[in-house]
Amino acid sequence: MTRYVMVIDQRRCIGCHSCTVACRTWNELPLDIVYNPVVTEGVKGTWPNVHRSWLPTLCMHCEKPACVPCCPTGASHQDEDGVVWIDYDKCMACLACVNACPYGMRDQSKLQPRLHQFVRKCTFCRDHRAADPGAEPYCVATCHQKARIFGDLDDPNSEVSKLIGSVETVRLMEDLGTGPQIYYIPELGGKA
Amino acid sequence: MTEIDIHADDVKMVKSLCYFCHANCGVLAYVKDGDVIKIEGDPDYSNQGGLCCRGTSALLHLNHPARVNHVLKRVGEKGEGKWEQVDYDQAIQEVADRLNQIKAESGAEAVASAGGTTRTDDWARRRFLNQFGTPNGFHNALLCWIPTFMAETCVAGWSPFETDLGAARCLILWGMNPGASTLGGMHGYWDLHNAGMKMIVVDPRYSETASKADLWLPLRPGSDAALALAMLNVIIYEGLVDYDFVGQWCSGFDELSEHVAQYTPEWAAPITWLEPEQIRTAARMYATNTPGCIQWGCTWDQIGRASTTGSHAIALMRALTGNLDVPGGDGMPGPALNFLTDEEMELNELLPEEQRAKQISRFKLTSWPGYSLISDTAKRTWGKTLPTEWFCEAHGPSVFKAILTGDPYPVRALICNATNPVNSYGDAKMTLEALKKCEFLVVVDYWMTPTALFADYVFPAAGALERPTIVTHYGATDSLMGGSRAIQPKFDRHTDMVFWRKLGLACGQDPANWPWETEEEAYYHIMEPLGLPISCYDDFVSMIRMYYPPLHQKKFEANGGFWTPSGKVELNSTIMQELGFPGMPEYVGCIENEIDTPELCEEYPVVLTTGGGFMPYHHSEHFQMQGIRYLYPDPYFSINPALAEKLGIEYGDWCWIETRRGRIKMRANVDNETHPNVVFAPRGWWFPERDGSADLSNPFGCLESNVNVLTSVDEEDCDPMGGSWANRGLMCKVYKCGDFDAEFTAEDAQFSIPGNASEPGIHAKPSERPLAREPRPFTKPEPEIEVPEGYEWVWQNNTLYQKGTNFRLDESGWLVNPRTKGYHDAYTGWRYDAAGEYLVDDETGKIYTMEREEIPFLGGVRGYPGVEAAPFEMPEHLRWNVEAGYAMLPDRQLVYDPNSGWMIDPETGAYHDAYYGYKYDAATQQLVDENTGTRYTMTYEPVVE
Repeated sequence: MTRYVMVIDQRRCIGCHSCTVACRTWNELPLDIVYNPVVTEGVKGTWPNVHRSWLPTLCMHCEKPACVPCCPTGASHQDEDGVVWIDYDKCMACLACVNACPYGMRDQSKLQPRLHQFVRKCTFCRDHRAADPGAEPYCVATCHQKARIFGDLDDPNSEVSKLIGSVETVRLMEDLGTGPQIYYIPELGGKA
Repeated sequence: MTEIDIHADDVKMVKSLCYFCHANCGVLAYVKDGDVIKIEGDPDYSNQGGLCCRGTSALLHLNHPARVNHVLKRVGEKGEGKWEQVDYDQAIQEVADRLNQIKAESGAEAVASAGGTTRTDDWARRRFLNQFGTPNGFHNALLCWIPTFMAETCVAGWSPFETDLGAARCLILWGMNPGASTLGGMHGYWDLHNAGMKMIVVDPRYSETASKADLWLPLRPGSDAALALAMLNVIIYEGLVDYDFVGQWCSGFDELSEHVAQYTPEWAAPITWLEPEQIRTAARMYATNTPGCIQWGCTWDQIGRASTTGSHAIALMRALTGNLDVPGGDGMPGPALNFLTDEEMELNELLPEEQRAKQISRFKLTSWPGYSLISDTAKRTWGKTLPTEWFCEAHGPSVFKAILTGDPYPVRALICNATNPVNSYGDAKMTLEALKKCEFLVVVDYWMTPTALFADYVFPAAGALERPTIVTHYGATDSLMGGSRAIQPKFDRHTDMVFWRKLGLACGQDPANWPWETEEEAYYHIMEPLGLPISCYDDFVSMIRMYYPPLHQKKFEANGGFWTPSGKVELNSTIMQELGFPGMPEYVGCIENEIDTPELCEEYPVVLTTGGGFMPYHHSEHFQMQGIRYLYPDPYFSINPALAEKLGIEYGDWCWIETRRGRIKMRANVDNETHPNVVFAPRGWWFPERDGSADLSNPFGCLESNVNVLTSVDEEDCDPMGGSWANRGLMCKVYKCGDFDAEFTAEDAQFSIPGNASEPGIHAKPSERPLAREPRPFTKPEPEIEVPEGYEWVWQNNTLYQKGTNFRLDESGWLVNPRTKGYHDAYTGWRYDAAGEYLVDDETGKIYTMEREEIPFLGGVRGYPGVEAAPFEMPEHLRWNVEAGYAMLPDRQLVYDPNSGWMIDPETGAYHDAYYGYKYDAATQQLVDENTGTRYTMTYEPVVE
């Protein structure tokens, strides 16, 4: 089996937003849509004892996604490899999934005509990887810092498996029980 | 969304280089039907496949609807925005005719050229200017590396700028934030830091990079010189010096020790706002973790009058710790000895001495007087030198002032290529006025910038994917990297070299001086001496891509010294002294500060620093591109919450930031990233989405949020050595935009000369204004020895050098070529060949005896005419012909070649055996008796057919 996940190494992230721009450029996103915003946390503390880190986000591709069962048309669904995606032909932009997602990672573009609206979100670059099997998601490939690592958690030799098995990782809002598949290696303070 | 198939048969991959900042990351461009369909980071280049926001946006840039695609000729009033589209070559001829007319009327120096940060070589501009005859070319070079480079070269003979981080144990990132400026380097710093390398960040702002440091020194903006001097003091007086290195390779240590005794950490503490212990900790960390590197940062060259003092002190820190040109230290590449340097492409010899003297600059280190001293030393020690482009330039702000004041003489025409000076040069109000008043303004750019708006002609420039890019660090290194163009320029866009070449030819310059029609041809010419197995530039890129010379470190050992006039690392620089500067850094404060100008701080109590880089923009670029502008749509300055609260400012409020010179509007980013009395304002802002012609006092909003309204280019505020103007550590006041004071008005746009004057208008002649430090008289010693004609005496090492060649006259009476270390005859210049014990004229290839008599060659065999007996062993039956100087067979006109043991026929070059004179037939490997036709084997047995 294949289970795609992403590890985000917050120790390495410097908040340059390259992932955000690469994603929107190559996925041809309208201006009001961002799949993977990078959130600046801080500056925390009081000068000069300050600290700052960044939280790159994206769809969590949950094990039990709240956004899939609520979809009335079957547009929102999940592949066997864990990737959650939307069949735009079936989507009627009812926004049920947008409301259901606890991470706020889905939205529709208001820049398109009402009748052509549909909900979008990160697909781990599903189409791009299908066209080019060697490719990684755009946000991963473009990262100078190698802060985003993508791979198959079911493959014990993959980099993500090795990282998750060896370094402490956290997942966002794990208590909700959706089983998010984005694993964060947290910043440890001023230096890691 | 259609996925692009880059593996299709009709898609070609081209190895290109990014052009949106100086990092020049590797880019793979996928081309189909003559257009780029996709790009990605090159995984085999230093960026390891990474591309930042700017790099990723290359296709948006290439095809942006706002690009200037054809030549625009002004038809309305200046700034009105009325243009006629004209043919490229026709426009070039019209511009050339006008430039020639101005030259005839006012001299070539009345034509100047401004550049920005071309992110590749720029020798073509200088090649044009030199042939045209004007010394007034310039870039923002004085804010970026060049004064530092020159000071470092005075100390050690070249700038030690190539950090060898792989083996380094400590790195200081000083006034540099790669986390927001050159991302390609940041991951490397981070990996090495994780592997144990100490990382010290010197930055008044809690930057992206500071967040990853071992030690962060949040100094007062502009106090870098005090910090560097105090660190020098700690290194010397705590005995952290590399005494072996200093003893063997440096001069002036005792003088320096005495000189920096006054600069204790306690002295520096109130200036830098750091605790003495912080300064000691940093100095100890750097000096005890050797080898280590100090990465150059732009800040060094942006502090105004204190700039070069700081970088000079930092140069001495590297020397005292033995970090110069050693593995893990700061590498000194020197000029390219194995391929052509940019300087060799500039035709500097065509600019006459009297035109050099007219260069508009009072700052000697970075203009002809200093360049000449430094360059002559480089030619005598390395054998090659720095380009004049960047390293020997007019002082940009002084040229703008000359346009307005006619002082020292009128500048009537300006060619701006790759720059928008209103946003990138200091004192934006004065600069904008100069561009408006400039009699003839030509702009080469991608966009309709505020500068282009006032042009008489706007030429469209080819961008990143439309041009080849070569990386030789601006002609200052011995390695070379390259990228190909993905496609030919679209529309009527042209590359820079093509623009200058066409303009040069149209001005009547000799076509023989412009032999290359494309950059690729010129670049191939540059790298031809490498002898690589390539037949064109694109071959180099696709097969080799990077060239590094074999010997890259500790070159001073092989050279027997450093590349200074004395051969030592000069801790008390003689070139600096000769130029009228202190030979050792003497503290001077930044232009406005609490200690030197307390009365000013009452009205302007907050410290302002400007000029830092920030994602996703670079200088004044990329504000057009919605796809990245949305990340950072408005200009924000950073202010500490404590100060914001005191001033009643909340996050997002529009505020005025005001210095003595003017005021600008920005929104408040209330954040703990700066000191409670410091605000940090980013550079470059203008608003391309506006109608430029609507408000000509502030076209495209180019002044209202532009930090250069606040900076100073007044003569006394500039660095007296390098000419850097003041961007950092200024005093300002900050207040919220009021309901009736929210708009930037025409009154706010009024300029003055000097900029610090309280009333608008021109109050002084720039050439009569005092400098921050008057020149210190220096008398060059008289020669101690007789100086023969054609030679120059260098006082520092009491040595004669031949003029022209710059070869050293050795004690033995021979000339020594610094590049090859080969000996040359002092009378003829012929090279001594030790193996053959003769002289070679490398120009003609002819060979001479040590008595300078030409040595004859017959069939490639050297003759010894007049020599009584053969000077080599020869077969007994041969006869020595004294007159001809050859060993011969008695009855044949064949000469014996002692190297191969064969007889050579001088007429045909054919080989014959030395016993019978039979001719060697290479096809059959047999010998042929030409008289009888009989064939023999190589052991003289007849061949039976």
